Amino acid sequence: MPAPVLEVEGLHKHFGGVAAVDGVSLSLTAGRIYGLIGPNGSGKTTLFNCITGVERRDAGRVFLNGERIDGLRPWRIALRGIGRTFQIIRVFPELTALENLLVVTRGHLEEARSRAVELLRFVRLDRLQDEYAGNLSYGQQKLVEFARMLMRDPTLVLLDEPAAGVNRTLLNDLLEAVTQLRDRGKTVLLVEHDMKVVMGLCETVFVLDHGEKIAEGPPGAIQANERVIEAYFGR
Amino acid sequence: MFGTGYGVRAMLQIFMWIALAGSWNLISGLTGYVSFGHVAFFGAGAYTGAILVAKAGWPWLAAALAGGVGACAVALVIGYPCLRLKGPYFAIAMLGLNEVLRALVSYFEGLTGGGSGLSLPTLHATVPIYYAMAATAAGVTLLTYAIITSRFGLRLMTIREDELAAEAMGIDTARHKLYAFLISAVGPGIAGALAARDQGYIEPISVFPLAMTITMIVMVLFGGKGTVWGPVLGAVVLFVAQELVWARFPYVHQLLFGAIIVGVVLLMPRGVLGILQLRYRLPRTI
Repeated sequence: MPAPVLEVEGLHKHFGGVAAVDGVSLSLTAGRIYGLIGPNGSGKTTLFNCITGVERRDAGRVFLNGERIDGLRPWRIALRGIGRTFQIIRVFPELTALENLLVVTRGHLEEARSRAVELLRFVRLDRLQDEYAGNLSYGQQKLVEFARMLMRDPTLVLLDEPAAGVNRTLLNDLLEAVTQLRDRGKTVLLVEHDMKVVMGLCETVFVLDHGEKIAEGPPGAIQANERVIEAYFGR
Repeated sequence: MFGTGYGVRAMLQIFMWIALAGSWNLISGLTGYVSFGHVAFFGAGAYTGAILVAKAGWPWLAAALAGGVGACAVALVIGYPCLRLKGPYFAIAMLGLNEVLRALVSYFEGLTGGGSGLSLPTLHATVPIYYAMAATAAGVTLLTYAIITSRFGLRLMTIREDELAAEAMGIDTARHKLYAFLISAVGPGIAGALAARDQGYIEPISVFPLAMTITMIVMVLFGGKGTVWGPVLGAVVLFVAQELVWARFPYVHQLLFGAIIVGVVLLMPRGVLGILQLRYRLPRTI
């Protein structure tokens, strides 16, 4: 059993009296695609935010490649190797598509530029590289965000609803890109409401409900799990 | 007109406003952290320079550079806590800083002359000071160019665009904001020390007026925030307009400034160059 890339231990996050994440533990192994599902308000995005340091956890520990990262500033966690996209797109609208990618790089500018151009070609946006990101369509912005996340070559990729609002063709491109990431040894954790996407792509699925992890397993077993069905459809 | 006393004096003022507006643009135009007390750095520089000249006998040019350092030191002390505040809270904190500095210089009478002001020894150096002010304006503008064309400048803009996303992409936003803030204090500090030397007399109300901050903001908004030449354009156009109107209708010019603020915010929030940039797809460096 290889060492886990990401390990979350007993993570808690409360907002006032609401337990958004209530003692969640997970462990992700390198080179696999994981799904994170659950009804609205079950704590999926909050869990992402706690892992990436955007929200401060109330309790619990997070390890990336064996090193503790909880409590670090978000930018430090990003530099350690976690890349993410957001549920609601967060490109830099008044920067061009190319600048959106360049801005997260350090070191040699020409190398960074050629990598950025290459990634924009990978998501088929190279023709629009000098367009302001804010002028691009929703789906294109999503691709810019995806490419920007890849610029730092993260070891762990967190995707918050990559399929939402994306047309079929674009979706297939995105899913293809995610599979390629996995094949290159990256670990992927994605939040997704589209069950077809989750079931087709993920090897292991975690299910959250009211901030608690209620199930974990391969997609087939999850679909048959009674607690999961109950969480989604009620008793 | 250029060779006359009025011409030199007017140009000196224009250069001063270019340095001030350009500096405000560096922090507020690029990172979106709107400073409502930027004249505090002008005042800090004015007092640093004036005290060094009057009490320690420094040459005015060295005192002017020290004014930049003094303003930068104030920015370092105040920037650390204040830049954690967002939006209106930062703006108000900066407004407060200006009032605190004004109260402080009034209180330490022994050093600053308190409310009765500080006189500098007589010196006829308007023309050399004019060149020094021109160099300050050019320096701020060149620095803006260098920053806007660099990845450092782009990172400052990500703070304006989406600070949370910038953090999540590995950008140390706190450090970037602080650097921008420190840089933005230097120009006003030098300009303040030069203006103090030129005028020969300063008092708390003459170097910490809120109206000066407002003027910087209006100049940048008019010319185009976040651009290289916007503050220059805004400073020249509005200064000239103000002089023309002020000479003829002394009571109307406040009204004119108010009208320009409202007009710019309503009709062209990006300012003149911002609009041209978008419409004609001009590069960021205009």
